Amino acid sequence: MNIKRTLAITKKTFRGIWSDKAALMLLLVTPALSIVVFAFGFGGDVSHVRVAVVNQDEGYQIPPSRVRVSISGAILANLDSEVVEVDEVATEAEGVRLVESADAYGLIVFPKDFTRNVYEKSLDPSLSLDTTIRVKLDKTNVNVAGVIREAIGDALVGASASMGVEGTATLDTSDPIYGKGATMRDFFLPAIATYILYIETFLMVVLAFVGQRISGSLARLQVTPLRPSEFVVGNAFAYSVLGLIQAAIMLTFSVYVFGIACEGSMLLAFLVVGVLAVMSLSMGMVVSSLARRSEQAMASLSIVALPSFLLCGMFWPVEAIPTWLRPLSYVVPNTYAINAARYVMLQGWGIGQIWLELVVLFAFTVSFLALSAFALGRVRG
Amino acid sequence: MEKRSDIETGAALPSGPTKKQTPMRETQVRESYAVETRDLTMLFGKFKALDKLNLRIERGIIYGLLGPNGAGKTTAVKIACGLLTPTGGQAFVLGTKVPNRSILPQIGYMPQETALYVELSVHQNMELFGELYGLTPKKIAEKEDELLRFVALEKWKHSPVANLSGGMRHRTSLACSMIHEPRILLLDEPTVGVDPELRSAFWQYFTALKQSGVTIIITTHYMDEAQHCDKIGLVRQGRLIADGTPLEITKETKTTNLEDAFLALSRGQETS
Repeated sequence: MNIKRTLAITKKTFRGIWSDKAALMLLLVTPALSIVVFAFGFGGDVSHVRVAVVNQDEGYQIPPSRVRVSISGAILANLDSEVVEVDEVATEAEGVRLVESADAYGLIVFPKDFTRNVYEKSLDPSLSLDTTIRVKLDKTNVNVAGVIREAIGDALVGASASMGVEGTATLDTSDPIYGKGATMRDFFLPAIATYILYIETFLMVVLAFVGQRISGSLARLQVTPLRPSEFVVGNAFAYSVLGLIQAAIMLTFSVYVFGIACEGSMLLAFLVVGVLAVMSLSMGMVVSSLARRSEQAMASLSIVALPSFLLCGMFWPVEAIPTWLRPLSYVVPNTYAINAARYVMLQGWGIGQIWLELVVLFAFTVSFLALSAFALGRVRG
Repeated sequence: MEKRSDIETGAALPSGPTKKQTPMRETQVRESYAVETRDLTMLFGKFKALDKLNLRIERGIIYGLLGPNGAGKTTAVKIACGLLTPTGGQAFVLGTKVPNRSILPQIGYMPQETALYVELSVHQNMELFGELYGLTPKKIAEKEDELLRFVALEKWKHSPVANLSGGMRHRTSLACSMIHEPRILLLDEPTVGVDPELRSAFWQYFTALKQSGVTIIITTHYMDEAQHCDKIGLVRQGRLIADGTPLEITKETKTTNLEDAFLALSRGQETS
């Protein structure tokens, strides 16, 4: 190996990078941005997840002191408020509705006379009394379900110890509202599949567009009567078909080959990932219409890929992201696609429940297509 | 690789524009010139690519825009096509101020770079451009056959452009720029990479096209090619330093060829 020749190549590469300040900035900003998002967004803990509580327990006046105590109240007071946000509801049906509509991740039900039963059973374990706290979880989010269970368990242990009734009350999490038998794989697949499609489609369009720009064919088309909007929509049709095929392959493999659960309609799941693919390609078109060189386009990929990876709710719920960072999650289109895919595949929701996510994705798509047509509209008149 | 035997330099010349061309609107100005520029200026950052360029190119002629690399020839052509908006001054194509979309169907543009879809075949590229100009499939097929015969690429009609040599790609590009029978052809260095025999055929063809009423504007830095042009404009540092027939220019500069004429004019420009 000739060191001079080798270094000549190194020098050439550095000069190329240096000459493109926009790409250089993106390359330098991306790692910093990603780490900032990761550090603040991740933090390692799920926090501030909403849980509904139905407390039918009225407390108990312990004889002979006649002091009124409430073990359920103590458990609720012991719940780590950083992790769980309690929302007290009047009836079990109301609590179930909150979980079903994804407004809460679980429901805690304290039975009638819970405190009394616990006290009496602690004195005579042979008594057949209801001392079970029923926790109905949304187990489709395995991470969150685990954290809620742990938080309630800790609160129960703490409250029982302080009241001298250890080991009497129990937790029953065997009847989840969603995700009975859901595994980690079931939970992650809709998100991972959606994310892969998001990146792949974006990349496919960016590479194709930048290639056309570099070869000069894009400029040549601009000298024909072709309008920028026609160019954008024409491409969108073609890449949508490709994106939809990719989406179909991904879903078919997941569900029929690897047995990933799909509680809802496969067609609807396909519609969700399909709409995402179209949105993603339209975003790719915006980036490519602005990027002059392949380096700029590639740098933009890292901006698109990394923060959204951390902010879209793939690994932890958006609710667990610090409040000040949360708005960023809502401007990441993938957040809506992942939510919708999970709702359909894990919770079995229909179009009536996920229409808002689809509308948001559609709005992103239309905006991106319009933006790219505008950016490509070099020929005026 | 290109085979000599496939180049039919005497191939029948394709027809020029038909009578179905869009008529010019009465309201349009400067009807008499194919291209006119007035103090056309183009800045790229601090670099002045065009410096008050004034051109008046009559219709139905072959006009050669000559000058060394970086003289501003391509920039002027790109402004005429609407690909660039001038920093200053004005440009008119067939009487219409550019950039303007309405003039695009009347322009045929062949860029310096091949600018084709190399993954597509010659036929698919020509079909694409034909469709973009709204030609019927029948018309596309007719024009395609005619043009491929002329550029001697009939045998490569279904070959991907990626498999063609540089010269063949150039010829494909030329054919694509003419498929819609434009009234004005803007050809940026069309003869680069083309062998002498085919180059001669190109000029023969350009002459025939001119006779059918098409205006052809060719940029080149080959001074010898300018002899084929009816008129030439010598451009240096973004300015027009001479304009006229090749004979007029050599006479005026008291030189025997355009290369010497250009050098003499350049020296004159530097002294002034």
